[in-house]
Amino acid sequence: MGTQIKQALAQSTAKFLTRFAALLPGLAALIVAVLVSIIIAVVLAFITRRVLTSLEFEDHLERWGFASLADWSPMHSPTLLVSRSIGFLVILIGFLIGIAAFDARWTSALAQTVLAYIPNVVGAVLVLLVGGIVARFLGRSVLIGAVNMNLQYARLLSVGVKWLVLVLAVAMALDHLRIAPGIVELAFGILFGGIVLSLSLAVGLGSKDLVTKSLERDVKRSSPEVLEDPLRHL
Amino acid sequence: MATLAPSAAPATRGASERSPGVNTVETDSITRQVQETDEATNADLVVGILGEFDPDAVKMVCAGLRSLPGSPRIAVVQTDPSTNHCGANSTGPGGASLFFVPSPLAKTDTPGAASFSVASAYESVFAAGEKLGARACCVFASQIEGATPEWIARLVQPLLDGDADLVVPRYARHRLEGLLNSSLISPFARALYGKRIQNPMGPDLGISRRLLEPILGAEKKTHGGGVYSLASIAPAAVCAGFNVCEVHAGARVYPPTDWTNISSLIAAVLGPIFLEMERNAACWQRTRGSVAVPAIGEPVFLSSGAEKLDVARLVELFQLGNRELQEIWGLVLPPATLLELRKLLRLPAEQFHMEDAVWVRIVYDFALAHRLRTISRDHLLKSMTPLYLGWVASYAREVQNAGALAVDQRLERLALAYESAKPYLLSRWRWPDRFSP
Repeated sequence: MGTQIKQALAQSTAKFLTRFAALLPGLAALIVAVLVSIIIAVVLAFITRRVLTSLEFEDHLERWGFASLADWSPMHSPTLLVSRSIGFLVILIGFLIGIAAFDARWTSALAQTVLAYIPNVVGAVLVLLVGGIVARFLGRSVLIGAVNMNLQYARLLSVGVKWLVLVLAVAMALDHLRIAPGIVELAFGILFGGIVLSLSLAVGLGSKDLVTKSLERDVKRSSPEVLEDPLRHL
Repeated sequence: MATLAPSAAPATRGASERSPGVNTVETDSITRQVQETDEATNADLVVGILGEFDPDAVKMVCAGLRSLPGSPRIAVVQTDPSTNHCGANSTGPGGASLFFVPSPLAKTDTPGAASFSVASAYESVFAAGEKLGARACCVFASQIEGATPEWIARLVQPLLDGDADLVVPRYARHRLEGLLNSSLISPFARALYGKRIQNPMGPDLGISRRLLEPILGAEKKTHGGGVYSLASIAPAAVCAGFNVCEVHAGARVYPPTDWTNISSLIAAVLGPIFLEMERNAACWQRTRGSVAVPAIGEPVFLSSGAEKLDVARLVELFQLGNRELQEIWGLVLPPATLLELRKLLRLPAEQFHMEDAVWVRIVYDFALAHRLRTISRDHLLKSMTPLYLGWVASYAREVQNAGALAVDQRLERLALAYESAKPYLLSRWRWPDRFSP
């Protein structure tokens, strides 16, 4: 009995050690891959930070209308955000390469799934970026146009248009990421419709006095008295 | 009183209110069309009368042209041959012979053809002048009170005599008219290029072939096909050392202000001016101070009573911009200027006053931001509208009851403010990042 127990124990230990030994190269490969990817990530992040700093990336971001990105960035530095994101991406890729080295079916399946998802993430980020740029541009256009038309609720219109575009961009990005598409569609419809409705209400009811004032001014402008305006510009 | 009155034709109506530099056409296509006209082979002078003028005005222009001495051959470019009020080809008492050539860009029956823009009208005249080998080209584009044949002759004669390469009018000034020119275009050009030209962008003007050739050549070289801008004429003339002179004229009649479109007008006018500034940076950075250009004829002074103006409306628009556009202006203007603007927020309309120095720095900062593309150029120029109206409100309060001489003195002070702030512009232009006032 004792011998049998010893034999079973020895066999299971041998089996475990054999399997563990079989895993060791994969584990070593994972560690090496992660270490190498960390080194590459640090170097790439450093280079990215230097390049972005020399290109005055943060000033450009501010000019392009992404000043708020600094609030979401570590140490309020979008340069750090970009460089660290690149670093983490490289480490993630290294980790996936290391996992794939185990030669296990599930690991390669996981790697394949994650790698197949990357284009969706890139697409969603691009949609968000373009949406942010368009939202900022349209917001500014509306603000300047409304101010030049002497509309007292210019800011409200501008913010409304900006958020409409941003909500649209976020909904598109989430749809691209295949995150709860049904809920996203519903939420988008509610949010988009809600913004339009609240804009209409704000302009039509909340800003009634302002609208009345603006319209009165327009009527006055078209009156004969104002048409005799002596100013001539060019 | 003879009057040059542009007609109500949609193609040319509001010519002076539009930007001369915005609508452009390809010079090559114009030249090709000119080549197709075989009615004339050469001329000493090519004249364009933009728009369908009333018959008396056209007759007056033609009478002025026929009275020219020295038997010049004068080609009149017709925009609409069906309404020729000038009479048949003829020779005047001084020997000047007039004949007519169709405009290379005359109205076509092609559906959807581009409208006959002001800029393309100028181009067609200049292209015709180039093709016919004319010594000079003249364009009459605006309504002028009290215009006479003598005035027409005075504008043309220096070009034919070879005494001048660019002749521009010096209109008699109404205190509240031509404000974009008075507040910005003219003093800005004076400070940059060092010549005191009242109307550097015409719209009435005469140009010699010597000046026309380099301008058209530069346009072709820069833009490939050749894109023409009125804003480039005076800077090109001054920077290349051509002779510029002014001719005193009566008051120009301006079209009513289109308040719904004022920001587009400002953007359309300032865009080409700032582009020319960038192109001629080497020239204007060398220039210090300014000198008057020779003027022909006697100045005309206008007497006018007090005009009713709603300054409060202008101040209100400025204050709205001052509240809402700080975020955009903050990208363009230095903190000191923003502080000055915030101080203006507290002023009521009856005490509203914008210092010339502040206005001038604003103009210079916007010119720099245009060059650096700090924000979209269209946004930049349109966001300047409340600032411009703020200066107009301040100026209008000052001169509402002032006489012609006082108005001239006021605008001279503004021009001097532009000149004295030029070192500021130079510093910011050369070191936009380092120089922060």
